[in-house]
Amino acid sequence: MSMTPDAEPKPRWKWYDDERVLGWGSVALVIIVWEVAARVTGVSSLYLPKPTQIVVSLIEMFRNGALIVDLGWTLYRIFAGFGLAIVIGTGLGIWIATSFRVRAIADMFIAMLYPLPKVTLIPLLVIWLGTGGPFMLTISFLGAIFPIVINTVLGVRQCDPGLVLAARDLGANAQQIVRRVLLPSAIPSIFAGIRLGLGVSIILVVAAEMVVGKLGLGARLYLSGQILETEQVFAVLIVLATLGIVVTKTQDFIDKRLGRWRLV
Amino acid sequence: MAMAGAPAVAVDIESVGLVFGVRTDAPTVALQDVSCRFEPGKVTALIGPSGCGKSTLLQIARGFLNPTQGKLRFVEVASGTETTRPAMATVWQAFNLFPWLTVLENVAFGLDLAGVPRAERDARARKAIAAVDLGGFENKFPRQLSGGMRQRVGIARALVMEPDVLLLDEPFGALDAQTRLVLQEQLSALVETSGTTAILVTHSIEEAILLADKIIVMTARPGRVCDQIDVTLPRPRSYATTHEPEYRILFDRIYGMLRDEVMRAMIIESQGA
Repeated sequence: MSMTPDAEPKPRWKWYDDERVLGWGSVALVIIVWEVAARVTGVSSLYLPKPTQIVVSLIEMFRNGALIVDLGWTLYRIFAGFGLAIVIGTGLGIWIATSFRVRAIADMFIAMLYPLPKVTLIPLLVIWLGTGGPFMLTISFLGAIFPIVINTVLGVRQCDPGLVLAARDLGANAQQIVRRVLLPSAIPSIFAGIRLGLGVSIILVVAAEMVVGKLGLGARLYLSGQILETEQVFAVLIVLATLGIVVTKTQDFIDKRLGRWRLV
Repeated sequence: MAMAGAPAVAVDIESVGLVFGVRTDAPTVALQDVSCRFEPGKVTALIGPSGCGKSTLLQIARGFLNPTQGKLRFVEVASGTETTRPAMATVWQAFNLFPWLTVLENVAFGLDLAGVPRAERDARARKAIAAVDLGGFENKFPRQLSGGMRQRVGIARALVMEPDVLLLDEPFGALDAQTRLVLQEQLSALVETSGTTAILVTHSIEEAILLADKIIVMTARPGRVCDQIDVTLPRPRSYATTHEPEYRILFDRIYGMLRDEVMRAMIIESQGA
């Protein structure tokens, strides 16, 4: 192995060392191969539509407004429950982490409910709440709350006790210790929980829409499949994948802004 | 940095004992019948073998730990009457800076909690930062600073509160020998000019002699007061002081006592007590 001198002034740009080229390039390559393969083999678009057909279908669905409405409903359902889960989850997490009694009680419930696949709750929730807004809110909330609570508890419990002592020494009361010390020191962990929670919320809402919904991306996906509109199925999948990218990148961005002190 | 004219308050430790794990099978006696007085405007050093309970005694003085025997009293020296707890602030061995706050925000933290308006808070914090020679580092985060600089932030964060009693819990224990020397001199100068009451917990005989007016030597566990020694070396003291004959005599005397106690502590530890 030859030694590369450290002092080499700017290494020459090589496309195969560029993160973006590799990431986007490989996606583009897969699409091109797909398009070419579909054309060459002449496979029926019922099974595998060409990417160009899917794009046409996607644009058409956006133009007639149907997909926008579905996307709106799905986002609304996800974020209503998820937002509620952030507020209640962090609050509950801090309470569990700081009180021995609450922790003893909550531990049992978390141990019972956390490993339970939340989709199995859909039948029961439909019996109790019907298939409307309250049901969707609950399913999204249930998806997000557990990772958020568990990570908040972990983050708060891992806080350096020296920092709590220092804050008490500087005159902090119990409430100030929570707000000014425990919460900020747990932020990285809480964010990891929020990230996991949002993922589960998305899965659950789309799954619930597929089972019971008439509106929403999940419902659209299911109905398109039922009538063998394969292009539409792919179009909805693309919207969902894009939603995933946007959500992940937004979280990365917020994470970096709030965690500035960890990076300097 | 007690206000001029404010009554001088001494911290009295009266027959204090502390037992950890009273309800367990193997309770640990950390402190036994400790009595001493921390005089106002004076620096008192607590020195002793590790595990002798000197940091524990500091936590009792701070009010973070309650003794299982005896009591803690605050006495107005002039009238001899008991009074309320004077304002205290601690400098920690592990610095305990808030890593998500900048130097300025760390130093202003206590003032912020106390509701001091932003402009005044920042002005006072900047002054304290300048006093420990960290001007220009206000917007850095703790992890961007060296150990010595971090502890100077810790000192500024305590001093900005203008405490009546400054508690120093092995403040330089985590620093390298050179940084330690420089900071000892700086702290010595700060303490001398401020006239604040200070309690210094340390392992270092040198540090105790350089900084303190009185040195309380503690025994190995259970911690008791072994001896109380007044340090009359003239101030300002610096590294040069360590060449004075009086310094050598004091050092040897304290070392003699500590050596016996450290040996005893080692025997206790090897017996697993």
